[in-house]
Amino acid sequence: MDNSFFTRLGSFLSTRSADIAASATEHLVVVLVSLLIATVIGVGIGILVWDRPISRSLAIASAGVGLTIPSMALLALLIPILGLGWLPTIVGLAFYALLPIIRNTVVGLQEVPAAVSESARGMGMGTTKTLFLVQLPMAWPVVLTGVRVSAQLTMGIAAIAAYVGGPGLGEMIFKGLSSLGSRNAVNYAVVGTAGVIILALLLDAAFVAIRRLTTSRGLRV
Amino acid sequence: MSVQASRDIATAFGTASNRRGKYFSVKRFGTPVVIVVVLAVLFWWLSSLTLDSIEQRTLNWPYLWERTYEHLRLTVIASAIIAVIAIPAGIILSRVRSKVVHAVVFSIANIGQSTPAIGLVILLAIVWETGFKVALIGLVAYSVLPVLRNTLVGIQQIDASLTEAARGMGMKPLQVLLRIELPLAVPVIIAGLRTALVFCVGVATVATFINAGGLGDMIVNGLKLQRWPVLVTGAVVVSCIALAIDWLAGLAEDLIKPKGT
Repeated sequence: MDNSFFTRLGSFLSTRSADIAASATEHLVVVLVSLLIATVIGVGIGILVWDRPISRSLAIASAGVGLTIPSMALLALLIPILGLGWLPTIVGLAFYALLPIIRNTVVGLQEVPAAVSESARGMGMGTTKTLFLVQLPMAWPVVLTGVRVSAQLTMGIAAIAAYVGGPGLGEMIFKGLSSLGSRNAVNYAVVGTAGVIILALLLDAAFVAIRRLTTSRGLRV
Repeated sequence: MSVQASRDIATAFGTASNRRGKYFSVKRFGTPVVIVVVLAVLFWWLSSLTLDSIEQRTLNWPYLWERTYEHLRLTVIASAIIAVIAIPAGIILSRVRSKVVHAVVFSIANIGQSTPAIGLVILLAIVWETGFKVALIGLVAYSVLPVLRNTLVGIQQIDASLTEAARGMGMKPLQVLLRIELPLAVPVIIAGLRTALVFCVGVATVATFINAGGLGDMIVNGLKLQRWPVLVTGAVVVSCIALAIDWLAGLAEDLIKPKGT
């Protein structure tokens, strides 16, 4: 049984390798696009709120509330407004990716020692210059960890997004479900699920490298 | 994963207990108010619509109540099983001194977290059968490891000098566990359980795909039949349930947390 399962999986992989590669690429693209949008917006919001106590706690509290909303429910709510396909997928994924990034940007900026920001000011740097040359680079490792958490989160949610017509490996998982009982059902589901795991692990490994490359030299241990 | 990274991730998910002593914060009252307002708006919107026969079949109290009941049953039973399995297993693992065993558990838990829940649930349904039982097993399998890991981390992060002092005072190992280690680990353990609970509400929505009922049924029916009121009701109610459960768990977290930490 086991042997025949693996031989069948093997032939499935070889006959559909083009399909699988296309799905995996789409999955990765949709995740990366959402992450990019979320990083820009999230870091922006983080910069705006981090030293304003009321808007800061409002932003962090709503980020916490946002994360509790089931992804299936949010994606479903987007359909009447945005229809099916790439658009609701990217909006939904970017929404979830936003939350850890905002939170980590705020925490990262708060953890910058006040003495360091003050000496930057004392050296004659303005607020903007201090932010971009001192505070953001020092907060960057924490911000990047937020992006990394978001990446893992969106990888899984992207699989559910296939139900609202989103692209990617989720399509394969649902194809497996809809062909329940046929010979290829297990193959589709296994390839879709394992593909998401592999992509998630690869992306996580990539973040280790990104962290090393983009962290300011004085902060590297 | 380095300690720094896991601490950052803990920050990202809000497991770090920095809300000490704030029993009556805005969040404490904000969440229930938001839930009530959202449900009231939903109800007002639905009662202003004229429903056709298809919508009437699903948008009535008995149907809605039954789906909610199915949803809560799946969530609560799964979380109870998770707590019963994961917490004792975490305690036992914390007694195992082998670093290798811990590393293996942590890396399996990490891989488990990047597994898409929908893939696991559907895969189980394909190789086994569809229905409530399989959905329950999928939920438990998915959330056991994070709770176990939090239990382990909660016990490991305790200052060794505290347990040593307890032993020096003549406490037996079981006393050290019950009176020092567990009370100090409770905040981390509860935080893990809270995440698992909220997560179960989300995955229980997906359980509709394998015929296990729940409010996901309304979302899927609404989408298939293009009846937006049905879809929106399902999605909004399930979100409110998730928020309410998270709020209750947060309340429990603050009440159970030992004084002095």
